[in-house]
Amino acid sequence: MKQMYKICIAFILIFTLNIQSLQAQTNTMDFLRSTGKIYTVIVVIVVLFIGIVVFLKSIDNKLTKLENLIKNEQ
Amino acid sequence: MASLKSKYQLAWWKWLGVIIMLYVIIGGLAIPLNPGILSITPQNSRTGDTVLISVTGYNTNFLSEKKIDAYLKVDQYYGIKSLYSDALSDNSIHFAFAIPQQLPTNQKQVPASLIINSAVDGAFVLPEGLFIENKDIGRISDNELRQLPEKYFTNNAFRFPYRNILHETIRNTFFHVALWFAMFILLIFSVVYSVRFLITKDFDYDHKSSSYTKVAILYGILGIITGMIWAKFTWNTFWTNDVKLNMTAISILIYLAYLLLRTSINDEDKKANVSAVYNIFAFVALIPLVFVIPRMADSLHPGNGGNPALGGEDLDNTLRLFFYPSIIGLTLLGFWMTEILVRFQRLKHKIYLYHETNV
Repeated sequence: MKQMYKICIAFILIFTLNIQSLQAQTNTMDFLRSTGKIYTVIVVIVVLFIGIVVFLKSIDNKLTKLENLIKNEQ
Repeated sequence: MASLKSKYQLAWWKWLGVIIMLYVIIGGLAIPLNPGILSITPQNSRTGDTVLISVTGYNTNFLSEKKIDAYLKVDQYYGIKSLYSDALSDNSIHFAFAIPQQLPTNQKQVPASLIINSAVDGAFVLPEGLFIENKDIGRISDNELRQLPEKYFTNNAFRFPYRNILHETIRNTFFHVALWFAMFILLIFSVVYSVRFLITKDFDYDHKSSSYTKVAILYGILGIITGMIWAKFTWNTFWTNDVKLNMTAISILIYLAYLLLRTSINDEDKKANVSAVYNIFAFVALIPLVFVIPRMADSLHPGNGGNPALGGEDLDNTLRLFFYPSIIGLTLLGFWMTEILVRFQRLKHKIYLYHETNV
């Protein structure tokens, strides 16, 4: 459950930071709009990648917990 | 040696998923867009004027031709042909138009589409690029404005279609749209396993069902985030009160409640039963929320309210060559993640059973 909270907070943080930085810096926006908005596609692919990595990390953490549990039993 | 081999062996479909996604990312980014018109100035004119329009093109080769014809298309049959063209660079060109005194329409403001007919780049269009103020309303003889060409040049190069506003972000089709398709496939599997669990009460089916749902939720959240990014650069806002957007948000919330439900019940038997039933209901709720209600209302999002997504020119054959593999690739990656989760849950369940019998 703690893990879930952490993930949720991380998501919200990334989200708000992103939105704030994008809105504060019009330069970033202009950059993302330049050359036919190709960097928007890059951002989308990066988000996809980060999402999958975060998911794998959560499975990793769960497995570590289980491993520790088994270790303690023995 | 045998153990080493088995250690690094991967099921064929996992490799296939990775290879397909590599193909989609590399191919989807490497193939250029068709030529198109980024912007024109001025955007307003009046009947009787001679207007010099400067055009900014995208992926165009204006310098490779001596003379390029452009047309201001007023309606299906009538067009004004350019008097001359003057290319400044490959992406910049001037056209002069003599707009006649009268136009064959009674509108006050006549929207005219700019068509550039180039032998090298093919024909491309900026819809409603120039608004002509109609000073003398009335019909004139048909012949004066019948200047649209009999035949447009075509560009047979292997390229993605150029769409206004979308520009390069049309490539997001392979990621954002395919994510939702993959999510739906995973959810179908999840429901099937939920039903099978309720029939057989075999816990392995519960592991599978819940794992499929978890990966599908990941895909749904990623789909919403990628959609928001895409919307920011095309609709100029992260979120609009659009039917499709709100309904998908609701369905994601329904599935988040599923996760909450599972974590809140400690009894394994009860947890599996309740979540299987909830999963089936959630899926039944998903279909009208995502597929029916948005189609009944006007929506900005493609695929709703007379706004086709998978038909017409929004998804042409070049896009299909990457879009369908992307769905398969993301689904296979989803299966892979599901499999890891299932294996984890089986282990956990074994430990749980061990505790039950030994305490």
